[in-house]
Amino acid sequence: MAAVMQHASAYLERFSSLQAGRDSEPNWLRERRELAMERFLRMGVPTPRDEEYKYTDLRALSDGRFLLSPDEPGGHARPAHLAGQRIAAACGDSLAVAGPAPPGIRVMSLSEALVRGEPRLEDRLASIASIERHALCALNTALFEDGVVIVAEAGADSREPLHLEFGPGRVARLARVLIIAERSSRVTVVETYSGLGEYWRNAVTEIHVSENARVDHVRAQLESPQAFHTGVVQAGQERDSRMSSFSLSFGARVARNDIGTRLDGTGCDCSLDGLYAVRGHQLVDHHTGIDHAMPHCHSHQLYKGVLDGNARGVFNGKIFVRRDAQKTDAVQSNKNLLLSDSAEVNTKPQLEIDANDVRCTHGATIGQLDADAAFYLRSRGIGEAEARKLLTYAFATDALARVGVASLRERFEGLLLDRFAPEAA
Amino acid sequence: MLRISNLHASVDGKRILRGIDLDVEAGTVHAVMGPNGSGKSTLAAVLAGRDGYSVDAGSVTFRGQDLLDMDPEIRAREGLFLAFQYPVEIPGVSMMYFLREAVNSIRRYRGLTELAAGDFIRLARQKIKPLGIDPGMLKRAVNEGFSGGEKKRCEVFQMSVLEPCLGILDETDSGLDIDALKVVSEGVNGLRGPDRAFVVITHYQRLLRYIVPDYVHVLANGRIAQSGDRTLALDLERHGYRWIEERSTALAAAGA
Repeated sequence: MAAVMQHASAYLERFSSLQAGRDSEPNWLRERRELAMERFLRMGVPTPRDEEYKYTDLRALSDGRFLLSPDEPGGHARPAHLAGQRIAAACGDSLAVAGPAPPGIRVMSLSEALVRGEPRLEDRLASIASIERHALCALNTALFEDGVVIVAEAGADSREPLHLEFGPGRVARLARVLIIAERSSRVTVVETYSGLGEYWRNAVTEIHVSENARVDHVRAQLESPQAFHTGVVQAGQERDSRMSSFSLSFGARVARNDIGTRLDGTGCDCSLDGLYAVRGHQLVDHHTGIDHAMPHCHSHQLYKGVLDGNARGVFNGKIFVRRDAQKTDAVQSNKNLLLSDSAEVNTKPQLEIDANDVRCTHGATIGQLDADAAFYLRSRGIGEAEARKLLTYAFATDALARVGVASLRERFEGLLLDRFAPEAA
Repeated sequence: MLRISNLHASVDGKRILRGIDLDVEAGTVHAVMGPNGSGKSTLAAVLAGRDGYSVDAGSVTFRGQDLLDMDPEIRAREGLFLAFQYPVEIPGVSMMYFLREAVNSIRRYRGLTELAAGDFIRLARQKIKPLGIDPGMLKRAVNEGFSGGEKKRCEVFQMSVLEPCLGILDETDSGLDIDALKVVSEGVNGLRGPDRAFVVITHYQRLLRYIVPDYVHVLANGRIAQSGDRTLALDLERHGYRWIEERSTALAAAGA
């Protein structure tokens, strides 16, 4: 194995010790892990020299210390539970799947799925998210110890969210999720990430949405303020399928999310939406990618950000429209509210269009609280801090409206209001 | 109730108010008229505490306290209400939530218990009816997508819910058709009483047929150029503002 990166030894050591204990893993997975490790060692942890990480400095992560070291003592808080049925929790060195799953839905740990010989695992696991493009996805593939597999059987319809909670501990640091929605099924999955102290979580979720199926995916990043969070969510969609992704990013010192879908059949619909709210010296970076490979597909993106203090935000939205993808309808919008003079946002739409009969629109705004609106509220007796909170909430409300599950949306509203409550402002 | 003495104010270094004196007693209605640019809206903005206006000299006391020293929300809680010339649209905040928050902010300040949601809805429905506003408006975002007339009616509705002791109406009549004007005026007249006063700022005498003032003041070049009873308004209707402006310019030139 050609290791060219610096600090390779710590990663290699972990990898070798894990591979030694993986006799029971099928060959295809062992081979994918070998390949992934090789890719990671060749690319290393991205640096700001890489155009894709221009504003997001991950150099503190390069030696792997925050990923591979054990948790700080006392760091074993329970992961946050938001709403819906708690179905799997990863905490400490293990992962627990708590039943019973709704009818037509199979939920199991990855290790169990491998032992059981769950069909289609070989087709989907470590094959939807690209280890070629994402060094950190490759790292997760090489090192993950366990994960969650959710299979919605053909025709199953489950709208109550299944809740996956990732807390502290070595298994959850390298969270891995695979969601397979079979033909004409529907499933809703919520992932929560939270912890205490300084650590690095590097998570990967892969989603396969079969013909006419629907997956609603919500991701709540509520990591500790000292944490680093890197995450990849990648979906592949067959014809007439629907996928929605909502990314809530409130926590972590540095958070980088890569969220994408490939529309591989005609008549697909996807929405990638999100809300980030950061303050202090937090940095939150979303890179989205929608690959319109086939005609008559619709994509919608609304990302909103609230930034206070010296916080920084990054949004990069790529839309590819391939030559065959005629009649594509793609809408992208990123709007930011700066609550202080020293907060900063870098936002960039990136459209590559090779078809000629398409509709693609994009827009980005960066603004401050409307002084006229604030005065109007105050002139009616509402205090300054309360007015600011109300206007911040009002700004975020159309993004939050994209969360289909009402109980979850209410929790998120509460979290947002707490975050910009007068005491915190 | 309100005493304005020698008030000077400027915006971006430009002097707009050049020595306003005005006493408003409880139970009275004062109309402030004047041509465009005379300082009418600046006076309203300074009284309500809008940012961007600097008071260069003079004082304003409101119910015995220094008004200019108070934040805008404190002025409101003390009982001052400004009906905006251009009410602000606030997408994402419902009228209901906004107004209940306002009512309860004021009640908390006065040491009263907050109104529960149900009690507030009953109050709002009772106050909205005479103004001919569709109660569905309460569920809509504040002023968002309202027509000009709806916005003005909504200002008067808010005033009737908040029950201030001093209402300042900044060109609430501008752009209203005669039916809307009647409704708005009836709303204001319904609030008149011995403990409440109004300063009605208007460009048009027409309003004063419906809200009959006790006093009329004409503002020109940042000063009150003429005061009188409602017959002054009729003179202005007949002769326009020109004679007053000319007189005020002449007075200023003479150093008065």
